[in-house]
Amino acid sequence: MNPASWQELWANIAIFKDAIWAAGLAGALLGFIGVHVVLRRMVFASSAIAQAAALGVALSFWVPALIDPIGHAAGHAAGPAAHVLPSPLFEPVLWAIAASLLATLVFIANPVRLHLTRESLLGFVFLVSGAGAVIIGDKITQEAHDLAAILFGSAVVVQTIDLYLVTAATVLLLGGHLVLWRALIFVGYDPMGARVQGMPVRALNGFLFVSVGLAVALCTRALGALPVFAFSVLPAMTALAFTARIGWVFVLATIVGAFSGVAGYAVSFRAELPVGATQTATAAALLAAALLWRLAMAQRDRRRARNQPPPILKSSLPSPPPERASTAAAPRTDAA
Amino acid sequence: MLHADALTVGYDGVAILPPFRLTIGAGELWAIIGPNGAGKSTFVRTALGLARPIAGTIERRPGLRLAYVPQQSALDTIFPISVIDFVLMGLQGTGNVTLARRSAHLGAARRALEESGAAPFARRQLRDLSGGQRQRVLMARALATDADLICLDEPTSALDAASEQEILTLIERLRRRRGAAVVMVTHLVEVGLELADRALLLDRDHGVALAAPAAAMRSAPEFQHIYGRFVARHGHTG
Repeated sequence: MNPASWQELWANIAIFKDAIWAAGLAGALLGFIGVHVVLRRMVFASSAIAQAAALGVALSFWVPALIDPIGHAAGHAAGPAAHVLPSPLFEPVLWAIAASLLATLVFIANPVRLHLTRESLLGFVFLVSGAGAVIIGDKITQEAHDLAAILFGSAVVVQTIDLYLVTAATVLLLGGHLVLWRALIFVGYDPMGARVQGMPVRALNGFLFVSVGLAVALCTRALGALPVFAFSVLPAMTALAFTARIGWVFVLATIVGAFSGVAGYAVSFRAELPVGATQTATAAALLAAALLWRLAMAQRDRRRARNQPPPILKSSLPSPPPERASTAAAPRTDAA
Repeated sequence: MLHADALTVGYDGVAILPPFRLTIGAGELWAIIGPNGAGKSTFVRTALGLARPIAGTIERRPGLRLAYVPQQSALDTIFPISVIDFVLMGLQGTGNVTLARRSAHLGAARRALEESGAAPFARRQLRDLSGGQRQRVLMARALATDADLICLDEPTSALDAASEQEILTLIERLRRRRGAAVVMVTHLVEVGLELADRALLLDRDHGVALAAPAAAMRSAPEFQHIYGRFVARHGHTG
């Protein structure tokens, strides 16, 4: 079977446009928020939260089947179009949000009192969520494919409601982050100094953690856990490798995130590859390019430094005799 | 400016030092001295209002503006923060959380950099500077806050002798020019006592919390007990 062409993607854009929009918006949102995630050294957090969101979705499938197995099976027997969840209470996205916000409690808890580190608690959340999602996935054969799509990001199409939710999250959360980015950087960089100056450190951290939880939950439901983790880490790393100007880091991470989502989707269509993995690979390829560029720049700087004449040290010591001073000044004149 | 009465500091509800009394006046320089783990940081956190006293009271003058200069090692070098952006953080706080209209505050930030002798580094990354240069920038941020009380956490740690002297001179000059009170946590006992007006000696292990004029601190029995041998050795060597 021949791979699909770009023309085919364009011809069927009406089918795929929701997924492409969702990928682009999620990439932009997570790329921006991801700068805080990377700088605060909580990279593993977004992975743990994404896993928790996936567990939430799995629970939203499993719990109705547990409560009302006959009605649930009847819903499936009537076909996908007729299948409705028993109540809006079991809407997967709500369970994903609830599970994600529960996972963000790890940030608020003080692990030192438990003689543990935050990383180990995050590891706990990741493992429990991952194992839970797999175990529950085994119990819900009907929605197993849907769950796999959420875990690995293999969903080719995105439900309209998920696109709306991702759009709303992007507008609201990105808007909040655009207003608060300097405050969040200050609080993350020097929390004690920020508190002394009267910054609302707890509220700002709360906003960051809740926004990470919400963004990851909504985007996981739409795209899957793997690309969501990738978008919340790799674009920020790429931007940090490219520039040291903090404002530009945010701009670049947003662009790289959006591009990875859209380009990754297009490449997966063209090459018939799994969507989420291709989006992740695209973001990783951009990071690899950025790191190579950074290495090249570092080498260039080292070369330039080697070729420069040694600096003339200003000293309070008495000046050397005139003939020695003129000799010492000669190479400096040549270099100029 | 700041008055503590029968103040007991500690954490998790447990006192780590005996009660003490001190009053920090405008323009005073206080040296907070004591061995490692003596409770210096706990006192500073309490004085700055970041931790509650276990017992006693601590009163701050209404409207007192505080600034904190962290240890260099407390700032994560992964953050790409330019010198000017770091100093601008000094202008954030109550009433200006988001640093809206950044350009309106650039003048104040540049003046603070000039005053601390760090203006030539304004466009550079904080993480790329030497220890001495970085400490000047940290001081510049404290100046930008226009604080009445500046708390310095080990401002000379990890500096070479020349940079250390530069920073101590800067602290002394800025205190005299600005009239702000300075509280300096330092491991340089001799230098701290020489520079400061008053000193607070803390030692958790010996149950010591003694506030006294810096000039009189050396003769205090508690000081002799903790630093006696060290001071005697330095006295012989010059």
